Amino acid sequence: MLPFLARRTVRMFFILLIASIVVFYSLRFAPGDPTGAALNPLALEEVREAYRHRLGLDRPVYQQYFTFLGNLVRGDLGVSIINGERISNLLWSYGKNSLILGLSAVVLTYGIGIPLGLLAAARRNTWIDHLTSTFAAVLMGIPNFWLALLLVYLFSSELRWLPSSGSGGWKYLVMPAIVLAAEGIAVTARMMRSAMLEQLGQDFVRTHRAKGLSEWTVVGRRVARTALIPVISLAGLRFGWLIGYALVVETIFRWPGIGYLLVDSVLRRDYPVAQFFSLVLVFVVVLSNLFADILYGLADPRVRV
Amino acid sequence: MCAAESPLTDISVLAEQETAPPYASRSPLAESWRSLKRNRGALIGLLVVLCYLIVGIVGQIAFRNPGILPHDYATQDLMGTFQKPGATGHLLGTDQLGRDMLSRLVVGIGISLAVGFGVTAISMVIGLLAGSIAGFRPGWPDTIISAIIEITWGFPLILIAIIIAGALGPGLTSIVLAIALINWAGFARLIRGEVMVLRNQEFVQAARATGVGDWRILRRHILPHTVAPALVMASYYVAAAIIAEAAFSFIGLGAQPPTPSLGAMIADGRNYILLDHWISTIPGLTIVLIVVALNLLGDGLRDMFDPRLRNR
Repeated sequence: MLPFLARRTVRMFFILLIASIVVFYSLRFAPGDPTGAALNPLALEEVREAYRHRLGLDRPVYQQYFTFLGNLVRGDLGVSIINGERISNLLWSYGKNSLILGLSAVVLTYGIGIPLGLLAAARRNTWIDHLTSTFAAVLMGIPNFWLALLLVYLFSSELRWLPSSGSGGWKYLVMPAIVLAAEGIAVTARMMRSAMLEQLGQDFVRTHRAKGLSEWTVVGRRVARTALIPVISLAGLRFGWLIGYALVVETIFRWPGIGYLLVDSVLRRDYPVAQFFSLVLVFVVVLSNLFADILYGLADPRVRV
Repeated sequence: MCAAESPLTDISVLAEQETAPPYASRSPLAESWRSLKRNRGALIGLLVVLCYLIVGIVGQIAFRNPGILPHDYATQDLMGTFQKPGATGHLLGTDQLGRDMLSRLVVGIGISLAVGFGVTAISMVIGLLAGSIAGFRPGWPDTIISAIIEITWGFPLILIAIIIAGALGPGLTSIVLAIALINWAGFARLIRGEVMVLRNQEFVQAARATGVGDWRILRRHILPHTVAPALVMASYYVAAAIIAEAAFSFIGLGAQPPTPSLGAMIADGRNYILLDHWISTIPGLTIVLIVVALNLLGDGLRDMFDPRLRNR
């Protein structure tokens, strides 16, 4: 286990290093720079030059990169170019919101997806199964941004139950969390169903039944446990998608999370903010892949690393 | 089948046995088609996908020569905006600029499908190359390619899309590049795994023992086995790419006006959803239908190619 963790940690840092170079260079080679958003549109070119000089943007890109890396290693995250906000403060306030949204979506995804798949497998080829499959197929087909529009139309405009965007109480969280979880629920339910069906044909199931265990114990506990393995390994992979979706969902609902901040900062060329939060996202994805591998080993002793 | 040894003398039974050849004698292709025919969902999926393809081809032609459709997809009619579906001359109504929704939908399907299939073709070719090299050559080629795959897979797609759209300007080319740049890793992962298993199979060792070169083994003996799983994955990836294109066009990074992609059309209608919902509902339903159809087709293909999963 320990050599495995060490190897993976080294690889994780390597990935982050490469990601930081890619992000750093592509942001700087993209057209436009922070003067577009930070200065008056009519500002003179000399003023822009002075501004760039003050931020060190006129230095060669590799020098800027090493400065950035050095500051990062020392724990100095820097400040936003646009409004001077400390990035460590931004990380706390926006990160908290993203975490709330992400956790709600994860709870919804697995809290609904797993029981749904289990139920469909246990009641295979009945109307419950068909209904679940249809529901999952449609849920996978609906683009999340359109689902967002439909929900806003239904719950904000027609029923007036929920606010259409922004943040505040729990009511602001409901729609973004549902939209973010929708596809995951469908994928998890399908995965769980087919994994359950694969396990139900195995010998150990017959043994358990022959021992006289109740059907609930066999299906709901013994079979479900082994069927969770592919679901868990999928969870790690899905995390990358979830984060990608989170950017869209947060932007649509104006949920003040890291995704919203990142899109905004890239568009305004707020380099320090965009760089740092891109890396945060890559870090979270890589870390979740690592966790998925570890969980995989815990759930199935045969593949223990 | 050993009919001669059978005690049956009834000629009709023998005749029946001859017309219905035993299970094992069917060609794999015929067997696959039989399996697909049995799977109602997959058949419906295939039909819907074929219909979309035909409409898509018409749409692509109309995108270049708008004259072939009764209405130009980009011609505005500011006196005839927000006509409801079924209005005279406009089967699906008109949008906020009075453009014919049906023409826009046909062209939009053409563009969205072209992006979906184009992206998937590009990522499949790159994934096939990278995956087969990584799977076939353990050691440093595998280490390097696997590391690149993992880095790519860990990257948020939208970040790449924003960066490329920033560098090349928003548009369909940026979107195709961005999605392909991520999706190839999915194919590469799959192909690498398959090739790694196949590499050690007996038939490969046998081929090697007879002096067949590496390149030929890979091309003739290993890669044909990866076609089936790659096709299954492709059908899901086309669906995912269509949704991704729609999402990027929705937030303004993809198709630029007046080019109608399905996502851009939904975005057009987002401000009018209260009174004139069809401007976004029609393209929305169009996406749902094609994505569901592609997923059904993918499920059917998977069952077809993997007999263990059949009858499930």
